[in-house]
Amino acid sequence: MSVQGKFLVGIFDDEDVLLHSVEHIRHEGVKIHEVFTPFPVHGLDRALGYERSRIDIVAFMFGTLGMILGITMIYSMMGIDWPMNIGGKPNAAIPIFIPVTFECTVLFTAYGMTLTFFVIAKLLPGLTPVMFDPRSTDDKFIVAIQLDRNHLALDKINQILKDNGASEVFEKEV
Amino acid sequence: MEFGVTKIASLKANGVSIDIPVLVQPGQAPDTVGIAIGYGREKVGKAGNNVGVNAYPLLSVAKGIVNYSVTSNVDVKSSEIEYKLAMTQTHQTIMGRDIVQESNLKEYKKNPAAGRHFPTVATADGAVGATTLSMWEMRERNNHSWGMVIDLNSCIGCGACVISCQAENNIPVVGKDEISRSRDMYWIRIDRYYTSDMSHEVAEKENVNLVDMYHQMEDPSENPQVVFQPMMCQHCNNAPCETVCPVVATTHSSEGLNQMTYNRCIGTKYCANNCPYKVRRFNWFRYTENEAFDFHMNSDLGKMVLNPDVTVRARGVMEKCSMCVQRIQEGKLNAKKNNRRPIDGEIVTACAQACPTDAIVFGDMNNGESEIFKLLEREHKKRMYYVLEELNVRPSVSYLSKIRNTEA
Amino acid sequence: MQVTSPVRAPLVTSGKKLHDVTNDICKQVEGKPTKLWIVAFTISVLLLLYGCFCLYKTWTVGLGVWGLNRTIGWAWDITNFVWWVGIGHAGTLISAVLLLFRQKWRTSINRAAEAMTIFAVFCAGSFILMHVGRTWLAHWCLPLPNTYGSLWVNFNSPLIWDVFAISTYLSVSILFWYVGMIPDLATIRERATGISRTVYGALSFNWSGGAKDWQRYEQVSLILAGVSTPLVLSVHTIVSMDFATSVIPGWHTTIFPPYFVAGAIFSGFAMVLTLMLVTRKVFKLEDYVTVNHIESMNKIITLTGSIVGVAYITEFFIAWYSGVEYESYCFINRATGPYWWAYASMMTCNVISPQLFWFRKIRRNIAATFVISIIVNIGMWFERFVIIVSSLHRDYLPSSWTMFYPTMYDIGDYIFSFGLFFTCFFLFAKYLPVINMAEVKSILKSSSVNNNKS
Repeated sequence: MSVQGKFLVGIFDDEDVLLHSVEHIRHEGVKIHEVFTPFPVHGLDRALGYERSRIDIVAFMFGTLGMILGITMIYSMMGIDWPMNIGGKPNAAIPIFIPVTFECTVLFTAYGMTLTFFVIAKLLPGLTPVMFDPRSTDDKFIVAIQLDRNHLALDKINQILKDNGASEVFEKEV
Repeated sequence: MEFGVTKIASLKANGVSIDIPVLVQPGQAPDTVGIAIGYGREKVGKAGNNVGVNAYPLLSVAKGIVNYSVTSNVDVKSSEIEYKLAMTQTHQTIMGRDIVQESNLKEYKKNPAAGRHFPTVATADGAVGATTLSMWEMRERNNHSWGMVIDLNSCIGCGACVISCQAENNIPVVGKDEISRSRDMYWIRIDRYYTSDMSHEVAEKENVNLVDMYHQMEDPSENPQVVFQPMMCQHCNNAPCETVCPVVATTHSSEGLNQMTYNRCIGTKYCANNCPYKVRRFNWFRYTENEAFDFHMNSDLGKMVLNPDVTVRARGVMEKCSMCVQRIQEGKLNAKKNNRRPIDGEIVTACAQACPTDAIVFGDMNNGESEIFKLLEREHKKRMYYVLEELNVRPSVSYLSKIRNTEA
Repeated sequence: MQVTSPVRAPLVTSGKKLHDVTNDICKQVEGKPTKLWIVAFTISVLLLLYGCFCLYKTWTVGLGVWGLNRTIGWAWDITNFVWWVGIGHAGTLISAVLLLFRQKWRTSINRAAEAMTIFAVFCAGSFILMHVGRTWLAHWCLPLPNTYGSLWVNFNSPLIWDVFAISTYLSVSILFWYVGMIPDLATIRERATGISRTVYGALSFNWSGGAKDWQRYEQVSLILAGVSTPLVLSVHTIVSMDFATSVIPGWHTTIFPPYFVAGAIFSGFAMVLTLMLVTRKVFKLEDYVTVNHIESMNKIITLTGSIVGVAYITEFFIAWYSGVEYESYCFINRATGPYWWAYASMMTCNVISPQLFWFRKIRRNIAATFVISIIVNIGMWFERFVIIVSSLHRDYLPSSWTMFYPTMYDIGDYIFSFGLFFTCFFLFAKYLPVINMAEVKSILKSSSVNNNKS
């Protein structure tokens, strides 16, 4: 889904003002495309009506996979494929599983979850992002509203933004 | 003299003066100096030229007879110049540990287990023998079970076992410099301990504190007793070295040998650190075809001395006593070719073969006819003990306690 | 709505605004290298080159160029390895554990601390490769399918646990550091032009700062922090098991896992302080890394230093109480034997110096903190040296007792690691943002002087 079309962009200076504005704007029936902030603003995702991310379930699944792979690897190597008499110890005793299995679990959790995150958020090196305003990574909070997805008139939306504390509002074609 | 570092002394006798390093020898009679003659040669070849100091000029000839002792007008003056002696053992006493167990004839006659320590471990059921406990089941030994018994009584410390092992197993010569850095390569060594005046009992009786006790234990007595203990890889059944090798370069065979796989070893040296007997040796340099080690492995003629049945180890690889596994394998193969089991005495390790007093007995502990089996049966719970038994590493090499031929 | 506190000291001073944060940190990245940076970088590269020469000799001539021998198989090599790994742990602790405990003061130090972790683990890894007799076969420690059987690895060995632990730790640390850096790289990208823009653009992975992205990003950070915390504890526990699972007196002790972890955090925080005190001065970041930050770090140093001190006393007590001859001798030898001076250094530097931070004046004093941080690191080096060398040089059989003396190559290879560490660190300080701008901005409203004034 590539981002295209006409947008109305509202610039905010303060995160608390932003949060309240977003609530009001949505209350007025405006559909917001996305809000861009230089740092995570707590409560913003709820205010925008986003579902909670299920990346934690992904992390858990990868972790379980890592644990199973770790245990299987050690048992198949030490217990089945080439068991040897090492120090008189049993071939695949439980204590030796613990450190390596734990590390495999952590490795799979971390990388599985993060790479999934990169893929679903389309964060990949080489793609150029759509930046509505470069100051979204600096000190401003940007509300982007896609005009053809909203049935409200341009001027109405403009007015709503201004009433809720936007310091600037401008149109942008992407 | 500490850690092998001594001073050069200037010795004057019969009008001749030499500068010579001094080794402080426990038990040497006071006010006497002993010098080995035969060193300091100049026309003998690589092994002997300019090694040591020539002491012959100190001797006098009277009535056609060479007088090897000089009893008057001997002057010894120590200088400040330090000299590092190349000693493979720089600590002389046993620090009150029961590594060597000994008694005397009088006690032994009364009790065949005289002087023995039987280490126990405290459990909920009281004190039990240290080797009766195990966290896992020991593996069965169905075929052979190679082992050794070393009689501390018979060992005279001659060193024939060390040299025969070196010859048999292609152990490199590393030179004086490396020996002085404690980097000998001997797979078997003879530990020589002098007794000390201080012991745990003496410390308790005279109320000496722990720190002072240990410091005094480091000094040998003026007139010490000596014990020789040949020490090589104990081929532990619960080997601490095997467990810690990351690349499985050391494992245990089904016949009880601790195997060393040279071509797998990457040289982490963890096994050597974990060995409580410190019998493992590391190849610090390339000792073959290396100008810095211009000994037998650096010339075509010298290489003819090598045993073709034994691998010559590369730099960076760990090595240790293999109980002459090449001889074991050869013996087993010969017996197989003749459709029989190996007979006791057919397979013998280099050290056991060379020992002039039969202090080292090697054999198959599973063979009821073998000498070692009979020896172990006879001395079980008597003179037979394992060094560091309480560690429960279950060595295959056992020792027979020393019984001194004295009344006390 | 951010929770503000009228009683907590401000974490960002001098009335910084969001744009100031961006400017102050980006201008270090964007500007040309300063003379001071060039001098410092040159020195570290020279150290690195000298170290490379020593390393070349070690690898081609053999480990005999070190002072090791048949009794003491590990000395400076493994001391340095454990020292560097321990230092690295503070970075993960600051990023991960302090995140889980919601300590806002971590935001201005976590980026540099994590970078320190990664470079410290590089150095530690170099010692692993160095200490192996046949380095070209070190890959045999990995359980890769091969044509020897396949011959796998020995999972009983703590060194294999180390291989998995350290490599996981390095990979996850790099991941955590990098993921945290993406928003900041986007900031730099937006301000950059030309080649810089392309490079930082590629590095910033298409980040635009949308709310959905931030939502997922926060979840990812939290979970990474959640797995990194047990990871950091497990990694140094596994490193301690290199010693704890052996049979050697002085090594074979169950106190090592918590003792090593506490010691690692102790030395790591000291190294973070050493680095940050210089960085904040040179980069003029005193408003972001304030005296309050330094005080908090010093408190952690006191806490972990005290744990280490208690561990020392416990070890000594157990050596006596256990009744084990070899263990009691080991400790008496440590304190009164030929290496007594190393033991004394360890005790003074590690037990006494962190206790000085009980005094408020000392823990809020920059110069005293700098000096003490270096003393702590010296003390921790000696701790590992004492554990390794003094236990090995006199163990069970007195016939093997001998001494260890370092050679110029032991020292030279250690210098290599300093060269490597500082070269990497100076490159990081020049080309990447040393402070996590996004996180500092997120605490600005609640924790800055501005807020407290109103």
